Amino acid sequence: MSAPRVRPPRGSGSDPIAGSALGHQPETLTAFLKLYGTLWSHGVLDQASKELARLRNARIVDCTICKSIRFAGAREEGLSEAVVDQIRDGYETSALSARQKAVLRWTDTFLSGEPEPDAAQRAEMLAFFTPAELVELTAGLALFMGFSKIAVSLGGMPDSLPVSIQPTPDWPPAGGAPPER
Amino acid sequence: MLAPMSWLPEAGPGQDDFERVFALRPDLFAAWREFAGLFWQRRLVDPVLLELCRLRIAQLHGAAHPLSLRTPEARAAGLDEAKIARLAEWWKQPGFSDLERAGLRFAEQFVTDAKGMSDEEARPVVAALGDAGTVAFVEALAIFDGASRFCRMLDVQPVETT
Repeated sequence: MSAPRVRPPRGSGSDPIAGSALGHQPETLTAFLKLYGTLWSHGVLDQASKELARLRNARIVDCTICKSIRFAGAREEGLSEAVVDQIRDGYETSALSARQKAVLRWTDTFLSGEPEPDAAQRAEMLAFFTPAELVELTAGLALFMGFSKIAVSLGGMPDSLPVSIQPTPDWPPAGGAPPER
Repeated sequence: MLAPMSWLPEAGPGQDDFERVFALRPDLFAAWREFAGLFWQRRLVDPVLLELCRLRIAQLHGAAHPLSLRTPEARAAGLDEAKIARLAEWWKQPGFSDLERAGLRFAEQFVTDAKGMSDEEARPVVAALGDAGTVAFVEALAIFDGASRFCRMLDVQPVETT
């Protein structure tokens, strides 16, 4: 495990997010959870596509926490571990569908040093996705990448974690009131 | 005259191209704005440091829309165009404080390889901002990096000037 650069606040509890260093900024944490829950549970794009992008990002940024998590909604839509295993370098020759590969290519372009799709990639995405779905996917990538980079840059990342299926983020949170501001 | 637009074939209402593009997902845009606005409204980090990092990240990405914006809170705090003009070569230009230089170095590493952030790069930022300030700072960097990439991917056009 890398040494944490910022430790969680005292008495912040055991919640993996609220109990992390992010608990130092409860107001931004609440706003982020609202944004993330809106993206995942009140969107127009299927959850499996967002999960593909999130997990591809997790591999590229190399965020141990992000790589270990699976969201239940995507799993229910058919994103099994057999599919997840194909989100690796060399996915172009995998058995993933053309639409799934388009999501991964979009993610790779987003995370590259030159995040500008060419005309062919734009046309491919418009063949598979509506403009609203594309906005949601691209905004989602901004959040996936951002959360991963926050986690790795604050340090304290374990070397490995077991795969864990988590409830799909929602807002207001399922089964409870949002954290107090 | 038609306003310059992203390559997306649809747009929603808005004052500029970023708003028109993001308006295709209005509830998501509202939640994004609420989150992104907190760093300025609550003054969680010095607004001049934040604005320098926001613009530097936009420069690294060549993102025209965020480069065309100026945040009022930073201007009110004293950031002028002369200093912004030196930002592209901040490491060899005068007029940047030690904290601004440490923050810009951190921001550039965050954009290019966050996992490769060294303790030497992080230490002066954490020492100056404290735990809560550092968390706010990296959260703001995340939204700046994400917004710049979003704008490049969808070719969001800069704010029109009259």
